[in-house]
Amino acid sequence: MTEPAIDVEHLTVSYGPVPALLDVSFSVPPGTLVGVIGPNGSGKSTLIKTILGFLKPDVGQVRVFGQPTDRIKGSVAYVPQRSAVDWDFPVTVREVALMGRYGKVPWYRSLSPEDYAAAEEALRRVRMQQLADRQIGQLSGGQQQRVFMARAMAQGAQVLLLDEPFAGVDAATESAILDVLRETKAAGRTLVVVHHDLATAAEYFDRLLLLKQRVYAYGEPREVLRADLLTQVYEGRLRVFAQVLEGGDAEERGDEGERADR
Amino acid sequence: MIDWLTELQRSNPHLIKALLVGTLVSTACGVTGCWIILRRMAFLADALAHAMLAGVVAGFLVMKLLFASQSYAPAMLIGSVFAALFTVVVVGWVSRVSRIKEDTVIGITYTGVFALGGVLLSFFSRHVHIDVVHFLTGQLLAVRMADLWAMAFVTVFVLSVYILFYRSLQLVAFDRVLAASIGIPVLAFDYLLTACTSFVVVSGVNVVGVILVVGLLIIPAATAYLLCDRLPRMLALSALFGWTSFIVGYLWAEAVNVAPGSAVVVTGAAQFFVVLLIAPRYGVLADWLRRRRMIPQMLIEDVLRSVLKSRQDTISLAQLVTLMGGSVDRLTQAVKQLIREGLLVRDGENVRLTDQGRDYAMRLQRAHRLWETYLASVGTPQRELHDRADAMEHVHDEQAVDYLDDRLGHPLHDPHGSEIPEDFVHLVPGAVVPLAMLREGHRGEVVRLENESLESDFALGMLLTVKARSRDGHQWNVELPDGRVLGLSHQEADRVWVKLRVE
Repeated sequence: MTEPAIDVEHLTVSYGPVPALLDVSFSVPPGTLVGVIGPNGSGKSTLIKTILGFLKPDVGQVRVFGQPTDRIKGSVAYVPQRSAVDWDFPVTVREVALMGRYGKVPWYRSLSPEDYAAAEEALRRVRMQQLADRQIGQLSGGQQQRVFMARAMAQGAQVLLLDEPFAGVDAATESAILDVLRETKAAGRTLVVVHHDLATAAEYFDRLLLLKQRVYAYGEPREVLRADLLTQVYEGRLRVFAQVLEGGDAEERGDEGERADR
Repeated sequence: MIDWLTELQRSNPHLIKALLVGTLVSTACGVTGCWIILRRMAFLADALAHAMLAGVVAGFLVMKLLFASQSYAPAMLIGSVFAALFTVVVVGWVSRVSRIKEDTVIGITYTGVFALGGVLLSFFSRHVHIDVVHFLTGQLLAVRMADLWAMAFVTVFVLSVYILFYRSLQLVAFDRVLAASIGIPVLAFDYLLTACTSFVVVSGVNVVGVILVVGLLIIPAATAYLLCDRLPRMLALSALFGWTSFIVGYLWAEAVNVAPGSAVVVTGAAQFFVVLLIAPRYGVLADWLRRRRMIPQMLIEDVLRSVLKSRQDTISLAQLVTLMGGSVDRLTQAVKQLIREGLLVRDGENVRLTDQGRDYAMRLQRAHRLWETYLASVGTPQRELHDRADAMEHVHDEQAVDYLDDRLGHPLHDPHGSEIPEDFVHLVPGAVVPLAMLREGHRGEVVRLENESLESDFALGMLLTVKARSRDGHQWNVELPDGRVLGLSHQEADRVWVKLRVE
């Protein structure tokens, strides 16, 4: 059996008496696109930040390809939520991609030609070369997301964590971002994506993690998007996804149809 | 050169020292200010400047009482850095442990520490000979050699920090999470930057005083921020702006004999407002010009519809102007943009709709007439109908228009009796649509029946031909293959889905 790309074991993280994460365990095989779903305040961002090593867990540990995250700094790349980025910061697309290389160069040494080449290559792969000299605020939503994808690739990380990449984007941008995610996955990388839209969750991800403090379900979308589980996690807010469940069923039927065709 | 300098020194003994001090301070302040405004710490910097009073007094007292040394500059420098760091630590701690928000905590802490400095100052007034007025407004003309050395040290120190740790500082300012995840000690860099800021503030206080030192820090940086899209350029330009505001401010202060500190900050602020007006990308003027040059989508659409109304979709610019009124200039620009977008083509003196332009104009016409019908149906007075529909036609989103169409029962004519164009976006051969959307002459085969009672008359795969509607457009008539004609209500027609035939 291949080593899991991410292995989370008994993770508990707390800010006060109420833990943000409680006994969270799951593992992700390499080359998987995982969606993390759950209501607001269910610990999705905390999970991302803990896997990244930005937050220290009270209990448990995170291993990336068998190594504890604090041992291998920079092995996990992070794509911040769009609202968390200062888009007026005087920095160009190329400079952001270059930031992916910062972790590999000690402070007393300057960036090497290889670092510049790696950043350039990453920009080429997300098709942002032409806009490399633009200030990041002058890009469309999809382009902005791609810049940070490029930074993650330049970092050479095999594991990418994305915080709500689809928040507040229009449909065209959403499909552009999804394309980038799928290409990244096709290149063998592992992606964990915080997602808020249950309606698209089944379609977008290989696996889903239903989170509210603890893991309610983890597995293929159809195993996770079950009425009883969602009722439990989302409590009174069922009306919203009455359609979702219908859509989920339709999705399943579609899947089976496809399989039968093959 | 040397002669000239000696001559200068003799005529104005302060000048060279003042210029030297100003250059050092404005460079250090300008560069530091960039980090401060990018990290949104301006208020904290102001707090540090005030908190320093306590540190300066303490540093002075320690040297005076323990070593009997008068106003030893480095001790006051270290004292104020301690006061600043103390302030930062207290601010961080209080905001962590209480519900009080950071800006309030800053306000509490710095006034507290500043006042403590005031208390120390008056209690030890026998020993301390710090001129409070100078502390508040600067003492550029009384700078001593020790101060000059301290400033040179500060400038060299902060510039070295910024150059050596440029990447880390940039990343901590831009994306703390990434910085932390690749192992940059984020907190240590916060304190390093705070230390640098307090060093710079101490040296700045000598020039412009405690109240204005924040101006020296952030005004040049903000000015540069309006002009730059890259951090290295912003740092350099900010230092330059700091320097020009110092030189210009100092010289006119000498000329008209006012306090140089205030003059420097006034000059910096003036510089900022000039740049704010004329900056090529982020300036007010540029923004205004951009907005003026932009042709609103509404004008573009009005032009399209005017061309559609003309004979054979062709019109001359002169006719367009008489038809639409308004500025000839703007109309010309709108026409040019339409040509660029491929919606109009030049045809000698005239412009003509392209196929794409015709489609667009037809969609607008459909939106206009549907809105007019809708407005009439909700009781809009007859004489307002046209103008209101003119405004509403720009709301021509497909889904919105389809909703209106369905709600109004797929009307054929608007209240003035003009025909409403059919939904040619959806009515394309091969499309599957409800029967209700079809017009006279359309043919299609039944692919879905949403009501079982319809199955007695219709069968899947049956080819239907749509006839003229009757009962004021409320009854749909279809001819079946066997020649029978059936009448359907809107509801029934909505439940029969047909696949449109290629004609």
